[in-house]
Amino acid sequence: MSMQSDLGRVRGLGSAKSGSAHWWSQRVTAIANLPLGIWFILSILAGHTADYDSVRAWLGSYFHSTMMILLVISVAWHFTLGLQVVIEDYVHNRTIEITSLMLIRAAAAFLSVAAIVSVLRIVFAGA
Amino acid sequence: MVEFNLPANSVVKEGKSFSAPAGAKTPRKFRIYRYDPDSGENPRTDTYELDLDACGPMVLDALIKIKNEVDATLTFRRSCREGICGSCAMNIDGRNTLACLKPIEDIDGEVKIYPLPHMPVVKDLVPDLSQPYAQLASIEPWLKADSPAPPDGERLQSREERAKLDGLWECILCFSCSTACPSYWWNSDRYLGPAVLLQAYRWLADSRDEYTGERLDMLEDPFRLYRCHTIMNCTNTCPKGLNPALAITEIKKMIVERNI
Amino acid sequence: MTESYKIIDHNYDVVVMGAGGAGLRATLGTVEAGLKTACITKVFPTRSHTVAAQGGIGASLGNMSEDHWQWHMYDTVKGSDWLGDQDAIEYMCRNAVPAVHELEHYGMPFSRTAEGKIYQRPFGGHTRDHGKAPVERACAAADRTGHAMLHTLYQQCLKHKAEFFIEYIALDLIMDEDGSCRGLVAWNLDDGTIHRFNAKMTVLASGGYGRAFFSCTSAHTCTGDGHGMVARAGLGLQDMEFVQFHPTGIYGSGCLITEGARGEGGYLTNSEGERFMERYAPTVKDLASRDVVSRGMAQEIRDGRGVGEHGEYIHLHLEHLGSEVLWERLPGITETAKIFAGVDATREPIPVLPTVHYNMGGIPTNYKGEVLNPTADDPNRVVPGLMAAGEAACVSVHGANRLGTNSLLDLVVFGRACGLHAAEVVDPKSSFKELKASDGEIGIARFDRLRWAKGSRPTADIRLEMQRVMQGNCGVFRTAEILGEGVEKLSKTAATLPDVAVSDRSLIWNSDLVETLELENLMVCAASTMNSAEARHESRGAHAHEDYPKRDDEVWMKHTIATVAWDKGYGVDLTYRPVNTFTLTDEVEYIEPKERVY
Repeated sequence: MSMQSDLGRVRGLGSAKSGSAHWWSQRVTAIANLPLGIWFILSILAGHTADYDSVRAWLGSYFHSTMMILLVISVAWHFTLGLQVVIEDYVHNRTIEITSLMLIRAAAAFLSVAAIVSVLRIVFAGA
Repeated sequence: MVEFNLPANSVVKEGKSFSAPAGAKTPRKFRIYRYDPDSGENPRTDTYELDLDACGPMVLDALIKIKNEVDATLTFRRSCREGICGSCAMNIDGRNTLACLKPIEDIDGEVKIYPLPHMPVVKDLVPDLSQPYAQLASIEPWLKADSPAPPDGERLQSREERAKLDGLWECILCFSCSTACPSYWWNSDRYLGPAVLLQAYRWLADSRDEYTGERLDMLEDPFRLYRCHTIMNCTNTCPKGLNPALAITEIKKMIVERNI
Repeated sequence: MTESYKIIDHNYDVVVMGAGGAGLRATLGTVEAGLKTACITKVFPTRSHTVAAQGGIGASLGNMSEDHWQWHMYDTVKGSDWLGDQDAIEYMCRNAVPAVHELEHYGMPFSRTAEGKIYQRPFGGHTRDHGKAPVERACAAADRTGHAMLHTLYQQCLKHKAEFFIEYIALDLIMDEDGSCRGLVAWNLDDGTIHRFNAKMTVLASGGYGRAFFSCTSAHTCTGDGHGMVARAGLGLQDMEFVQFHPTGIYGSGCLITEGARGEGGYLTNSEGERFMERYAPTVKDLASRDVVSRGMAQEIRDGRGVGEHGEYIHLHLEHLGSEVLWERLPGITETAKIFAGVDATREPIPVLPTVHYNMGGIPTNYKGEVLNPTADDPNRVVPGLMAAGEAACVSVHGANRLGTNSLLDLVVFGRACGLHAAEVVDPKSSFKELKASDGEIGIARFDRLRWAKGSRPTADIRLEMQRVMQGNCGVFRTAEILGEGVEKLSKTAATLPDVAVSDRSLIWNSDLVETLELENLMVCAASTMNSAEARHESRGAHAHEDYPKRDDEVWMKHTIATVAWDKGYGVDLTYRPVNTFTLTDEVEYIEPKERVY
């Protein structure tokens, strides 16, 4: 049972003086995801992903590979930010919270770097 | 983790039932949450049947009628009965609002009345609001200015500047909004909640206040401010028709504006 | 069946009871003066009834047209029907302008003029140059001025780290054998403990007692708690017969429609569509003072010209003002009319009725806020250690009838005066006189007696009977017969109080017990009001006696002092005290009584 005053409790550790970068990046990546997502869907509809060779040709181009890398970065970033919020909202066990935040970031970092390396491999293999 | 089940001593049991007087023309049932801290028993819901023909139009009228004529132990806060003091905020028919402004006829069937959600209950419909009150104090809700005020007159404020305060200063601190906000439910220890953020913006928007920067510093925090996920329950439930969600967005905009 | 309660003692330089406008302003003043202050309140400060004030706060700022505090003083004296004490009225009107500027400096969100100054609107009884025409004197924050003011004062108290005891029910004063006040006893609803506040100065700012009547604009919490405590301490209550009926309470619910509505151009009509106030007050018409308008309305209804199926109400017209003006300047009442009368004020008239609104009478004080215990030899004898302010007090600035906007002004001016006086007489360095074990026993015994009350009449039952008697026998129109019957009926109701039934025995948030404690306070107010009214054989301000339709300055230009024998069937003993017929300074002359025409 805490006997701390209400005011002391709500003031807590004070303001982190951060959070706006998170909020802003989430909005920026959300907006970026829009054209990138549209490009991605159009590419599928255009048959660029019909078979292995066409995918290689598609991702071999400077424009499409750049777009793909941007999409990976933007989606991964947006996903990390979003999941971070979900975890902060609902997970109230400090150890689990911090562990899951690190795992998510690690997973996002690993997957996005792996995806970028794959794209680059196609780009440079084709050159 | 989040607990989805109530602890055993909070499980709500079925309580007593009082039927309408014989010959009632328009009987209506009111199912009301009861909790008696002295008895140590589990909370229960009691059912009171009233004749609406012999009752005022608002839910508060029904509560007062029950207290006066059926069960004097029923406990709730009330004062002005015209929607300006903010005492009688409670959850009626699944929605946080003021009992004095909620017409009974707007509700179909049984009228279910609970205290404001996710607050400790002191007794029956009386929640403990000391945390939101402390959060209000923590944002320092008073005019801060270093320029001396004119000794024999008022500080000037244009009509346009004054108009920016409309929709903010009218808040009656009933906390219907904060207690309707899921984000506040999960993180009320660190998130200030819509009511307090609306008050914070009231001072940010006041042309006479000279501490905008410091106020923004104090608010810029992943939890204090940014737990708002624009769920909009606050705006939907506000019994005074105010828009706390918009005020919070304005604060976020101000912070972005000074960053870029 | 008494039990021992957990009693917690506190020492404070000043204890303030009530956290409305007056209580908060007094608290702020004493805290600023470096006095250790406790503010005890039965509701969270911003829930106090000050929050419901609508129209404005009176001050001769002259922002819209020429105005002077002397004009304000004249109007207040005339409004009071010469029962007000002119030294106190001078003090209030002089201090009105700095008081309003102070509120603005605190951050109060006043509406503004095009030049950026505080917006002012006309109000009933406020005139230019001694009654020539209505003047804009009511400083307004839309039609929620009380809300703006109360929140601002609470914010300032937070800023100054004032100490609040919220949801504490004050039970009784602690009085010394020598007749001075030593503090008070209170019950903490949150945990059921009893607290004794030992204080060098006690300030009562507990508000009015509108709930003694069946239909009133007052909040449920306006139960005259300070009045009850004072009466039980053996002190008198002043001018209780003067109860203001506000002309425009919504028919049915009693919710208030501000006089500012008429200030902005609204007017009243009877069933024939006639603007009848032109007959009762040819010069200022609908903006005559409240007693005059209420009587005019009641007269129309009695003469069969009321509106509605049974001709029982009057129409208030605002629709000609246009929805833009209504939503900008009167948004609150436009909303209230919609909710409580089901009427769209931008299109149709609002059904209204004179409704109990304000108690001019109360705890007698001087202009510094000190409570008086007058004797025949010394009508201005002070009770050491006790002050009062706001609606609970009778300074008397409102006399027989209060002008609209003067109540908010009264709160801040005399709340501040209490702070100033406390700072002057209380020495924060002096040590506290220790409380004796028996101090506060009376209050705790009363609490215990009612907690275990096993009578046959529920609190609500007795209360309703009392309210009906007050409404029926002490209303706008009074006759010797009606009042005589009222005294009799009320004493019968009061006699059943020992038979009260309380069904909740708990200590935490026992609201049944709270209402019973309040009922005893209300009964003190009701008994003193009825008996004072019955005895006053003249018509003055809000007290309109049909058998004595004229004001009688020869005999009745005096304050009634009612002492209530609360432990002996609420019998009332009446004495009188002269009106102060002098001003505070030489800068303004005593305003001689004359006929009151609007």
